[in-house]
Amino acid sequence: MKRYALRQIAQLAVVIVGISMLAFAILHVIGDPVTLLLPQNAGKEEYARYYKLLGLDQPIYVQYWKFASRAVQGDFGKSWYTDTPAFKLVMERMPPTLYLTTAGLGMALLISLPLGIVAALKRHSFVDNLCTMGAVMGQAMPIFWLGIMLIIIFAVRLKALPASGYGTWQHFLMPAFTLGAFLAPITMRLVRSGVIEVMNMEYIKTARAKGVAEWRVVVKHAFRNACIPVITVLGLQFGQLLGGAIVTETVFAWPGVATLTVDSIRNQDFPVVQCAVVLLALIIVSINFVVDMIVGYIDPRIRVGA
Amino acid sequence: MGAGEVALEGPDATAGRPAAARRSLRRLWRLKWGVAAAVVMLLIVLVTLAAPWLAPFSPVEVDIRHRLGPPAWMQGGTTEHWLGTDQIGRDLLSRMIYGGRVSLLIGVAAVLVSSTIGVLLGLSAGYFGAKTDWIIMTLVNVMLTFPFVLLALAVIAVLGPSLLNMVIVLGVADWPLYARVIRAETLAIRERDFITAGRALGMSHLRIVFRQILPNLVSVIVVIATLQVARVIILESFLSFLGLGVQPPTPAWGNMLGEGRVYMLNSWWIAAFPGAAIFVTTLVINLMGNALRDWLDPHMKL
Amino acid sequence: MRRLLVASLALLFAVGLGLVPPASAQTREETLIYSLQSDVDNWDPPNSVLREAIILGYHVFDHLAVRDLKTRRVIPNLATSWKAVDDTTWEVKLRQGVKFHDGTPFTAKDVKATFDRVLNPANKMTARGNHAKIKAVEIVDDHTVRFKTDGPYPLFVERLTAQVMQSDKVIREKGHEWMQENPIGTGPYKLVKWSRKQEHLLVRNDDYWGPKPAFKYVRIRIIPEKATEIAELLSGGVDIIKAVPPDQMDVINKSGGARTATSPILRTAMLQLDQAARSGPNPFTDVRVRRAANLAVDSDAIIKHVLNGLGDRVATGINPMAFGWDANLKPYKQDIAQAKKLLADAGFPNGVDITFNEGPPIVEPAIQQTNDAIVADMTKAGFRVKRNYIGDNTVLVARIKDGKGGPMFNWSWGYYSVFDADAILYDVFKCGENYSYYCNPALDDLISQGRSTLDAKRRAEIYVKAQKLLFDDAAYLYKWGLRGVWGISNRVEYQAPADEVDRMFTVTPRKK
Repeated sequence: MKRYALRQIAQLAVVIVGISMLAFAILHVIGDPVTLLLPQNAGKEEYARYYKLLGLDQPIYVQYWKFASRAVQGDFGKSWYTDTPAFKLVMERMPPTLYLTTAGLGMALLISLPLGIVAALKRHSFVDNLCTMGAVMGQAMPIFWLGIMLIIIFAVRLKALPASGYGTWQHFLMPAFTLGAFLAPITMRLVRSGVIEVMNMEYIKTARAKGVAEWRVVVKHAFRNACIPVITVLGLQFGQLLGGAIVTETVFAWPGVATLTVDSIRNQDFPVVQCAVVLLALIIVSINFVVDMIVGYIDPRIRVGA
Repeated sequence: MGAGEVALEGPDATAGRPAAARRSLRRLWRLKWGVAAAVVMLLIVLVTLAAPWLAPFSPVEVDIRHRLGPPAWMQGGTTEHWLGTDQIGRDLLSRMIYGGRVSLLIGVAAVLVSSTIGVLLGLSAGYFGAKTDWIIMTLVNVMLTFPFVLLALAVIAVLGPSLLNMVIVLGVADWPLYARVIRAETLAIRERDFITAGRALGMSHLRIVFRQILPNLVSVIVVIATLQVARVIILESFLSFLGLGVQPPTPAWGNMLGEGRVYMLNSWWIAAFPGAAIFVTTLVINLMGNALRDWLDPHMKL
Repeated sequence: MRRLLVASLALLFAVGLGLVPPASAQTREETLIYSLQSDVDNWDPPNSVLREAIILGYHVFDHLAVRDLKTRRVIPNLATSWKAVDDTTWEVKLRQGVKFHDGTPFTAKDVKATFDRVLNPANKMTARGNHAKIKAVEIVDDHTVRFKTDGPYPLFVERLTAQVMQSDKVIREKGHEWMQENPIGTGPYKLVKWSRKQEHLLVRNDDYWGPKPAFKYVRIRIIPEKATEIAELLSGGVDIIKAVPPDQMDVINKSGGARTATSPILRTAMLQLDQAARSGPNPFTDVRVRRAANLAVDSDAIIKHVLNGLGDRVATGINPMAFGWDANLKPYKQDIAQAKKLLADAGFPNGVDITFNEGPPIVEPAIQQTNDAIVADMTKAGFRVKRNYIGDNTVLVARIKDGKGGPMFNWSWGYYSVFDADAILYDVFKCGENYSYYCNPALDDLISQGRSTLDAKRRAEIYVKAQKLLFDDAAYLYKWGLRGVWGISNRVEYQAPADEVDRMFTVTPRKK
């Protein structure tokens, strides 16, 4: 187990470094931040001075090395725009996004687990078709459209929920559902195919042959093993959820890090973007690590196979 | 397991002719939704292709004197504008038809980009293995782990949201999915007899990969690509919501939906029709993709 | 194994729902909720150009003088009186017994420290341009100050309404960086908490020297999405919103829970054209192309049909409410043929490519729809407009300030709420100013004449000349004076302000 953990950690470190490098490269290749920072009548000398000041005169790998060595100490520089430390700005906005994505994930599971299992057990039945249809329809719905429709129905018409904002549990319901609906279709399909695959396995057939009650077969054997691919993929989906969070946060005036990142991108505020990207990557990768550990613990074959 | 399952999984080769015909008919019946979807899709494509002949107005022709006109069947609607007019008096029907053109074009073009990159990298990873595999798969993991939508936004925000930039960015953001699946399939095929035989005969790598492996992967690629077109259409609406999508006045379903969202409480038709168009199109594409998968290879894992 | 799963799922929910921040202590009854579409960049009003910063500033800080919204005249506030001692000296008496939120009394020292900070070029304060005519501030005694001006300064009193009073002690001891997030003023409300881009919570300052506000708490929420903002008003989550799109007024008025109010506001909208070539060479450096642009657009029709009449056509950037406005100067009328001809004369017989940087719908009502209509008109005249939407107002402002506005961009100017032609001419038309993309020495000359003439009649004549020049030279694409639309919950009474500065301390609960 220990060797497996170490190997996973090494792999994850590579992924984090990869993400930060890609982000760094994209930002530095596409835009010249100095043109935004300097007054337009600045002369060549001023540009040169500024490049030097920001270290932009050096080759990009040297710049990256400097960035990385400061970043590991938690120093991502100051926002070029508000003059506040980037780390502080990002950390302020991180919790709302984490709550939102976790609640969205929970909502997605709440919808997709029961439906996926039922669909798998009653394969090609009316219920299965209905679930598949629902999943496809869920995927066909732009997420901001769903969010605004929810607001109109539940806040404006029924006055049952606050339209937007952040604070109480009521504020969580609509954003979490919106985000959950974004993820549920994929999850449902995974659960369905996972359960179908497991139900065809020898040991399930054996269990059935032994006369074990059908519900016990489903709950004890099938569901348990179907969970492995689902958990694995959910870890991966966390990153995609963040993409959906950009829209959800904007529609519901949710003060999260996804909108901060988008604003900073528009602003070419590189320190904030880089800080957000690296910290988000760290979180996503840690989640995946935990997921890998759980799965590896459950199913020893994976430890060896991977 | 239901009784119908047997037909799908039974070995075709041993069956007689009439039985085979009956079976394929039955398969087609199983795929009835897919067939219906394909017909609808064909219709949508034909309509958008015929835009210049079908659209009653120019999609960018502004008439601020007749803004927010309701659809023809509502009170105050006229048969001049069947679906009504938008916030600056453009004919909604014409914009829908032309908008579909743009949306589908972006979808197909972006998928061409992403599938080309993804297939090439997936093939190399699977076929050459070792270091090539490791590098490509690390890149795939990086891209799948992180929401690269964010960085796609960065690129569009800086380079500007032209159609070409959008196609490239959406295309580049989506390739890892193909790469992962293609690699797995390539790995499986690589060890089969006919490949080993080819290699023993001294065929070049290029020839083996493109003449012998790739043809076996066509069905997988077609299925993913179909499903991805729908995803890109949704992504375009997402970009429009953030103001980074197709720029006005060019109509696309995504930016029409985005512009109409403020009007949902009164002039609902501005957002409702493009919304419905996106919904129906992605629905139809998904049904088609699923049917294609069942038809080409029921065991395909996607 | 299943237990493990259940446990981890439970953990997920605990994180998602359990760690929610505690609900705020104030009740809805004693809280007034106001919303803005974008947040301020800091809590230091003289260091910000944003309208939001001015609005927030009014709640926590005080000015030496303020505008009486009914008479539109400037009346004393933290100052009790002022007089011109000679052509270049103003003497101001200060109110006694006023305290800052930290308990220190407000005296002449604070006035001097405030102005010294703003006027020092090294501090690079945004508000410096407003007060550039002030040479020095001298303390006479604890409650009297004298302002030395560079030549006669007719706008002195008007400008007092555009400068919040900050504390000498804070400036000295806490310093610039601290002040960006921690406002210490003498105003009717105190800042309790600022959650960036989320909300500001203000609590009533019970030691306030003036009339006490009716609501104990004011929450200022940041809601970037207009559709959401309107939904909040309709569902009772927000009490007052501004910049309601004209097309949405009927939705609000029919809802039964809220209503709309409109008022002409001191803000003119235009498309700035880069005559000065600040963002590089472009076709608009040629006066014929600028005139063609002005002739291409049928602004009257746009006001009538798109804005439902909520706009006042202007011939230049000068607002009808500002001192110096020339009512006799007739605006451009649409003339596509003439516009085409001018473009051809300028060397573009086959049309010309233009990039247009568009702003978000935050200050200008229906900006997207009017932009659509304007672009459609310009296209008819031969402009091929490439549109580039900049969704974040602070970004747009920053880019424009840095000379990255592009050949044509959305701009509107709120005069820093100073009802005088100079308040737009200096900042938006004078050579080399941050927000000016126009440069013409003849105009600069008129601007400085206007600034140094005390006689109102002479000044009015100078501004008539300036407007003629701006009209003939078609400095920018002139649009209209704006009318603001507010959405107001039926639980409160509120008077829509002509200077666009929402004052939550004037809001009262509606009598039942």
